Amino acid sequence: MSDTRRMLAEMADPLFAELGPNASEERDLSRLEELGLPLLLVSEAEGGFGGDWLDALTVFRLSGYHALGIDLPALVIQRAEGVDRELAMAFARSCQIAGALDAALALSVGYVNERQQFGRPLGRFQAVQQSLATFACEAAAANCAAMGAAQALDRGAADFEIAAAKLRANRAVEVGTAIAHQVHGAIGFTQEYSLQHLTRRLWQWRSEHGNDAYWSAKLGSRVIARGADNFWPDLTARTD
Amino acid sequence: MQTFVTETVDWPDTAPALREQVRTLVAEHGESDPVRRANSWTKADPAFSRKLGEAGLLGMTWPKEYGGHQRSQLERYVVIEELLAAGAPVGAHWIADRQSAPLLLRLGNEELKRRWVPAIARGEAYACIGLSEPGSGSDLASVRTSARRDGDEWVIDGQKVWTTGAHVSHFMIALVRSEEGSERQAGLSQFVIPMDAPGVSVQPIVDLTGAHEFNEVFFEDVRLPASALLGVESEGWKQATAELSLERSGPERYLSSMVLFLELVRYAGAKDDPALAQLVGRLAAEAWTLRLMSASVAAKLARGEDPALEATIVKDLGNSYEQAIPQLVQAAVDFGDAEAEVLHAVCFYLLQVSPSFSLRGGTREIIKGIIARGLGLR
Ligand SMILES: Cc1cc2nc3c(=O)[nH]c(=O)nc-3n(C[C@H](O)[C@H](O)[C@H](O)COP(=O)(O)OP(=O)(O)OC[C@H]3O[C@@H](n4cnc5c(N)ncnc54)[C@H](O)[C@@H]3O)c2cc1C
Repeated sequence: MSDTRRMLAEMADPLFAELGPNASEERDLSRLEELGLPLLLVSEAEGGFGGDWLDALTVFRLSGYHALGIDLPALVIQRAEGVDRELAMAFARSCQIAGALDAALALSVGYVNERQQFGRPLGRFQAVQQSLATFACEAAAANCAAMGAAQALDRGAADFEIAAAKLRANRAVEVGTAIAHQVHGAIGFTQEYSLQHLTRRLWQWRSEHGNDAYWSAKLGSRVIARGADNFWPDLTARTD
Repeated sequence: MQTFVTETVDWPDTAPALREQVRTLVAEHGESDPVRRANSWTKADPAFSRKLGEAGLLGMTWPKEYGGHQRSQLERYVVIEELLAAGAPVGAHWIADRQSAPLLLRLGNEELKRRWVPAIARGEAYACIGLSEPGSGSDLASVRTSARRDGDEWVIDGQKVWTTGAHVSHFMIALVRSEEGSERQAGLSQFVIPMDAPGVSVQPIVDLTGAHEFNEVFFEDVRLPASALLGVESEGWKQATAELSLERSGPERYLSSMVLFLELVRYAGAKDDPALAQLVGRLAAEAWTLRLMSASVAAKLARGEDPALEATIVKDLGNSYEQAIPQLVQAAVDFGDAEAEVLHAVCFYLLQVSPSFSLRGGTREIIKGIIARGLGLR
């Protein structure tokens, strides 16, 4: 990670944690502006932060991690020049999903290590362990996919990668939210407990800017049009 | 918590040229039968292995002194992903090139290295892995095959099972109990056992498809020189488990069914069926993601890190993907359709072999247990 990106993360993380799910634009937008975040993708020449898409990933992911009540990615993308907004928002939701899944996983792991039943922490039970391992794989895939899309955006055209990343993230939502709630038992079903801030947003983000059907149809027809013999050469040419 | 810290993979500048080289080589020699191209890293073809050796595509990262080519880990990664994506028959040398020679180079004495490593790099010497026994599967620390000292020699007695490629291999690296009365992980050592040593016998085990890939291997008073001990006596457990990240995260953990996916793309091209297009899209997204994940682990390994948790995650997701492809294709495609003949054949082959994907190299349950531990559970 570059130094500016680390610095960005170190600024955004505590702020998003403080503002959290109840943040509102009216009250808290100025706090985000103090750090220059809405102008993240505006060039320095024009008074912006001059960030790239990997920087955007870092910020968007953290906004998902803390279930930030303000749609910061929408603000950032509104202000950015020369981007395909629909695609960029799909990318943003993938990053937010990646962050929120990691947060829900952390919450779940913390909870099962604390909560005791049958005289021991739930996390000692193999069935619980195996479920959370499955969850971790899905969260990892969503994170890796978001990263791949960010790298592609920084290289140039990224419509294939964003389609794939949003689709992969969407699929991870299904598994991740189900397991997070299952291991939490009834407490996770309350308004008071923080899991709902993550899972309710995850369900929303899965639908927004392209659900599974939308992206799989788009991606599939594209791959089919290119033909079986081009699939692998195309895939490798994207990164070489 | 960040489950998977991906960093930008710096693909080598030589990647396009290497890909071209492999693609040409495979086109010249490769396997045209799509069924044989599925799960191709279990298909042994010594002639092809020798060809790769001649082309400098085996032992790519090893020192020149031992027949290697001193290229980077990522250059090797490019070559193996190309071979697997093309369904090339790489089974003969696969294990030797992936893990046995690296282990010999790291821990072996000069005699062992000289005897085996250059021959592996030429594509002429093959290896098998002697871990599992009739009483020791997932619970590997319970192995009972024994090594006892007799003067300057070691004497091996016991049995290994499920040994892939023992019948085409020249040597085995075996994990055995070298300290009488020792328990569990203690008292285990690794030995390099030539398959033609007196007292070694190999019995085929035919798998459910009718193929002969794995075996039982028996040891009866097999006498080995002191130099057959690999690394340090009684450190066998640590040695055997140290390089698992290498074994678990490679492209072979997600590409075993790639041929079927490509046949699906071909078939869907002739059908104009939205459901098939969506299936192709979903499987393509997963392939793209898994490639990134696997390459990202390779990049970390190349930097000398040991991303054990990430590697295990790649294996679990990758195996699930390779297993899902035949199931999903079967669910979506009418095999009564004459145009689906190839798809049908490849699919049925993979339906039968795919249960092994989440057994070989550590079962799904054991792998998930390792992930859980990595998350801080138990
Ligand atoms: C195609 C193929 C090739 C192979 N090649 C080799 C080879 O070259 N060399 C070699 O040494 N071995 C090889 N193996 C063996 C492989 O490593 C073993 O099959 C594997 O370790 C599992 O052991 P097992 O088959 O005895 O199953 P078992 O250990 O008996 O397990 C049976 C089932 O119980 C589950 N289980 C076991 N313990 C637990 C637990 N504690 N908690 C929850 N579930 C559990 C397992 O996950 C599995 O689902 C190969 C296997 C296959 C299928």
